[in-house]
Amino acid sequence: MNSRSSSRAASNGPAFPSFSAPSGDSRKRSRNPPTTNPQRPLRSKTKAPFADFRSYMVEKNRKLRAQFQADATTSSLGAGSGHADSGDEKGIFHGVSIFVDGLTIPSSQELRGYMLKHGGRFENYFSKHTVTHIICGNLPDSKMRNLRAFSHGLPVVRPQWVLDCLAANRLLSCAPYQLGGLVNGTCKQQKLSTYFHHQGISSCNDARTTVNHDVKIDVDPKQLVLPPEGQCFRCDGPSGQASEELECMKVEKLYGEINANPESTDLEVKFSVPPASGVIPTPLSMINKSYMGHQKIHESLDSSVNCIGASNQVHSTLTDPNFVENYFKSSRLHFIGTWRNRYRKRFSNLLTGYKSSNEKTNCCVAKHKASIIHVDMDCFFVSVIIRNFPDLVDKPVAVCHSNNPRGTAEISSANYVARNYGVKAGTFVRDAKACCPHLVILPYDFEAYEEVAEQFYSILHKHCSKVQALSCDEAFLDVTGCDDDPEEIASMIRKEIEDTTRCTASAGIAGNLLLAYLATRSAKPNGQRFIPSEKVEDYLKDLPVMALPGIGYATYEKLKSRQIQTCGQMYMIPKEALQKDFGIRIGDMLWNYCRGIDNRTVEVVQERKSVGAEVNWGIRFNNLTDCHHFLVNLCKEVSLRLQGCGLQGRAITLKVKKRKKGAAKPLKFMGCGDCESVSRSITVPVATDNVVALQRIAKQIFASFHVDVKEVRGIGLHMTKLESSDISRKGHVDNALESWLSSSTVDTGKKSEQITCADKQCDNGGLPLPNGEPQSRCIYGSNQQDLGKSKSLCDSDTGYNCLPDKDARCCRSYEMRASALPRLCDLDIDVVKDLPRDIVLEMDDIYEGELSDLIRKSEKKGSRSSSCSSSVSLPNEDTNVIDGYIASGHVDSPELDLGAKDKGKLPVRETLNPKTVDPCRSKNPNKKAQVSVLENVKSVERTCLKIQSHNSCSRLNELHITSTMGPQQLMPASLSQADASVLEQLPEDVKADICGFLPVHRKIKVCKDVPFGFDVPNSVKHSSPWYTKSYLWLGSPPFWVEKFKISNSYFLNAIAMLYAESGKDILLSSILQSITPLLSSVSESSCEEYDEALHSLHEVISQYIVLKIGSDVEELYNCFCFLKRFSTVSKLLLRVYNSTLPLFQASMSEIYGGKLRLSVIREKPGEE
Amino acid sequence: MDRKNTSPQGETARVLVEFLEVAITSIVFLKGFYPSEAFERRRYMNVVVHRARHPQLSGYIHSVTAGLLPFVQKGLVERVNVIFYDNEHVPVEKFIFKIIVNQSYNSKVEENDLEFALRAFLIKLTIAEPLTKPLPSGSSWEVTAYFRALPQDSSNKEARMWVPTDTKQWLQPPDITPIKSMSSEPLKVQLYLEHPNPSEPKNLGV
Repeated sequence: MNSRSSSRAASNGPAFPSFSAPSGDSRKRSRNPPTTNPQRPLRSKTKAPFADFRSYMVEKNRKLRAQFQADATTSSLGAGSGHADSGDEKGIFHGVSIFVDGLTIPSSQELRGYMLKHGGRFENYFSKHTVTHIICGNLPDSKMRNLRAFSHGLPVVRPQWVLDCLAANRLLSCAPYQLGGLVNGTCKQQKLSTYFHHQGISSCNDARTTVNHDVKIDVDPKQLVLPPEGQCFRCDGPSGQASEELECMKVEKLYGEINANPESTDLEVKFSVPPASGVIPTPLSMINKSYMGHQKIHESLDSSVNCIGASNQVHSTLTDPNFVENYFKSSRLHFIGTWRNRYRKRFSNLLTGYKSSNEKTNCCVAKHKASIIHVDMDCFFVSVIIRNFPDLVDKPVAVCHSNNPRGTAEISSANYVARNYGVKAGTFVRDAKACCPHLVILPYDFEAYEEVAEQFYSILHKHCSKVQALSCDEAFLDVTGCDDDPEEIASMIRKEIEDTTRCTASAGIAGNLLLAYLATRSAKPNGQRFIPSEKVEDYLKDLPVMALPGIGYATYEKLKSRQIQTCGQMYMIPKEALQKDFGIRIGDMLWNYCRGIDNRTVEVVQERKSVGAEVNWGIRFNNLTDCHHFLVNLCKEVSLRLQGCGLQGRAITLKVKKRKKGAAKPLKFMGCGDCESVSRSITVPVATDNVVALQRIAKQIFASFHVDVKEVRGIGLHMTKLESSDISRKGHVDNALESWLSSSTVDTGKKSEQITCADKQCDNGGLPLPNGEPQSRCIYGSNQQDLGKSKSLCDSDTGYNCLPDKDARCCRSYEMRASALPRLCDLDIDVVKDLPRDIVLEMDDIYEGELSDLIRKSEKKGSRSSSCSSSVSLPNEDTNVIDGYIASGHVDSPELDLGAKDKGKLPVRETLNPKTVDPCRSKNPNKKAQVSVLENVKSVERTCLKIQSHNSCSRLNELHITSTMGPQQLMPASLSQADASVLEQLPEDVKADICGFLPVHRKIKVCKDVPFGFDVPNSVKHSSPWYTKSYLWLGSPPFWVEKFKISNSYFLNAIAMLYAESGKDILLSSILQSITPLLSSVSESSCEEYDEALHSLHEVISQYIVLKIGSDVEELYNCFCFLKRFSTVSKLLLRVYNSTLPLFQASMSEIYGGKLRLSVIREKPGEE
Repeated sequence: MDRKNTSPQGETARVLVEFLEVAITSIVFLKGFYPSEAFERRRYMNVVVHRARHPQLSGYIHSVTAGLLPFVQKGLVERVNVIFYDNEHVPVEKFIFKIIVNQSYNSKVEENDLEFALRAFLIKLTIAEPLTKPLPSGSSWEVTAYFRALPQDSSNKEARMWVPTDTKQWLQPPDITPIKSMSSEPLKVQLYLEHPNPSEPKNLGV
């Protein structure tokens, strides 16, 4: 605490020492110190051949390759000399590039020969970019142990492979020839070969017809049928997929980084399709294709490639993917989640057609006993894949995005063989591998799923009109009222499904949804079961409660603690007890379910309640920017989904999962681990799907959580309170701002006004002017208010602001862009002025600078037509607006004040401005006049000194001084006119100076046609000295304005105009701010005008100092800061500054006992 | 505050004194004299300001400003200085509120205008930090007020709260940096900074 906490009062203001003329203040400021950095010329690197080892090697490799190429053309294939047996113009090793390591049998030279002959390449030096296979006979133990480091992920193959390939006359899989040592590689082999089997079909068939053309492969991360897990298929053994690893690693890297730019990973790999020789693609033949792994193959030449290829093409042309996109691209859950939309689109006609028949069937329900069929594909995700791999049917197969046997990827579906091993959906791959080591893991094939799902539903819809889609592979059918036996229908459906899709389905038939569902479970796999109503009780009696839908772990644990394991046991519990324990709804449900009661009906169209996207995997942020980037993308995703559904939401919920304090590293790689969730929602007044709005709100909510971005593990964004976008569009007309505005606007500018307001609004919200999109505007709850306010202002004085007579030009420009912009005169200037300056600038751009004119004119609040602003050069107006804005006293935001203070910024703009001619540089032809002006300035300084030195003098004296400096010019024309008494008291040197300068002045006087000076109004002349000292500022508008107006100086006219336009209470600093564009005119003016301007400005500012020094130092300070700033471009203002500053400083020290940190600026020498 | 005091000057003084309390706290916060935890964010005149949480600190500022009230009302207070001293109790920086209360003003005070004008000070203060100089270690601060005349009735309890200051003066005229000025009848307030002239002898011959 402050030890001197007693407040103290001085009895009097401290006596300040009186100050003499601030001659010591003329600290010369050396601007632009000549720090010319002697630019050392860059030592030009002479490109000597082989400047370093690297270039040497590059050159050598190039030569070797050229040699090899030359050899190849002469040796065999290029010359077309043979190998008819290969059936392949390019040789079986096309695309293969080997590197031989160590001693091999056959020797490396022989291998080279083979490569030469059969289209392969032979690398003398290893490079992981050019080599595809490493050939070696044996490896030392150290390399063996660290094979990956050695091979860089490339396959390390025995030389026998080359020989065998030659023997088979096709490229065999190198997998069996891989340098062994690790045993587990073998099981992997098989897996992976089968793995890409289905992919091979198209390309291999193709290979048969158009043999051996290049296949362009776009390794597009978005295409990867690989979830963002990132650890896809890491092979640990020396298996044939070592080369894949390389790709995988790249992809992994990509996914590891959330904001990775996947564009950079676009790889183009060329390889030859093996001469398939008419054989059904065997796993082996595919193995070299598996190199591409999970990547989709895009064959541009292959027209026979079906929709898979086509859709791939679409994907591959997409650019700029990002994590969110990739994530959802490769997410199975996302596929299922969004499937319904596609389903609805696809079967929309059937779904709507149902509506009409709804009533009929409902009647039927009363008559017939309800019968529901539940159809579910058997392990859909697996069986769709393995239908192309008949040999896998009886092997344990699972679908997962990652094949890393130690990975934590979750298996999404496993076939029944695998299930017998205990592999279930959700098991981590490593656990699955543990309980079933020979489990085959396959990746997703979403196109196939899509296709099968479509077939599946086509069949269902064919047989039944009431289909409730549960998922892509699961549906309820209401066959009540159908003539056929439900069981027959079910078997028909199942058979047809199997015929069409080559996948099996199971069906359960019962009286309600629940029982049908349960029946299916017991019917699986590939079966069907009918539970007649009389057998329900039996069926349920021993059914474990866990089997009931809607009972999860939590409920199950609760039930278990109450010793309820089966439905039979639950049957005994009274409804009230269940409701008490589990809540009314769940209790009810349990009570019903264990009795086999289910009141739900098959609902064809299900209302969508929410649209959203959530990512809980791979979320790691380093900083807020990352996070915002992610949010932006997530919003994009949600927005796209909303648009996809044709919906708009009003409530935006952001859910953030953050790491629980002390939570261990997540079990799952890049998983979310133990998290706590926070969520918050914001409801906006009008439904939106606009991405910018979503982003804004999402960021806002996110900020409100105050979470450490490093702790964030998952983010979800959901939109609820959905409305159809059509409805919300329509509703908008009724309640939106726009319509409200339009109703208050009367004239024909109505429409354009709306648009501008919309634009303004958009600008406020940072929207990139989505002109015609009504829904985008209404997000800005807060902005709306502001706008409402400003608009009401606008309404109240639209009449006043409509100044059509004033602006012919405006109207013309309006006509040019009539469709989009409101007329300038329709704009409410008050509103415009209150807008942030960048927006004003932007609008000004749109109006081609006329807006800033208008702004200044409007400040006049009159209807005078003006001519001066037309001279204002366009580009300058930008700064004008800024200045004007800062000046207009809207100091609501600190930023503006900074702007006003920020002297560094604006001048830069001005000097950059081509139109602002630096008057200092424009040589005045009349050198003499220039000199005299300079002298003049000096004399002005002297005059100020005089004033200061007389500060302590009597009032009378002061009056004298003002009369010398005021009404006439600053210096009397001759000594005779100078006040002798004043001169008397001047210091000797000053006196001498004045005497020395006077002849020059006389010359000026001579050349002046119109002597300029202020006539002190009689009323003022004899009033108190104080008023006399500041008479120029009397009246409204002040006296000087009239003087300036009638002045010869164009510059002064313009300033007077500025003042007149600005309104009566405008501060001088504001005017000074806006004079920038006028500065160029000063230099062009004649010397008389120049003198006049200098004198008059000096006078006005001096009197302004007198007027304001007691009450508003800030304003004076601002004025001087502006003058100082402009002094770099205008010598006139520099002189005005230098001539008035001493008075200012003197007044400061008189009244405030201190000085401002402003000093006289030395004029640039050698300029005149 | 005495609400019944409805003379324009009284009204003005009340607003001003309240404002000064906030502004002085803002200055102390701005200078970082105390750790920022010693302050809490508050809203005053619709501006985010900081309020001292330490009872002693807020008490000091409150008592100082409240003690000014009668004098401000009479137009006796010329300046209120917030002075920061170095370890030798030589002022290194002064924030000066120069106050003029028009005693002859008789119309009604537009409190809104007044607050609007004063609010600009608070806004400006929040961004005035770059204008100030960093405090040396071992610094202290205090509030002093310069009166136009000594309080007439020195028996007055309020007047006795004020003791003559022994603040060292600068020998050279200080450098002034205006921060904000306002004029809203009957009140004129100017805030500016004073720094010692660069030519100021460092040790005042002490």
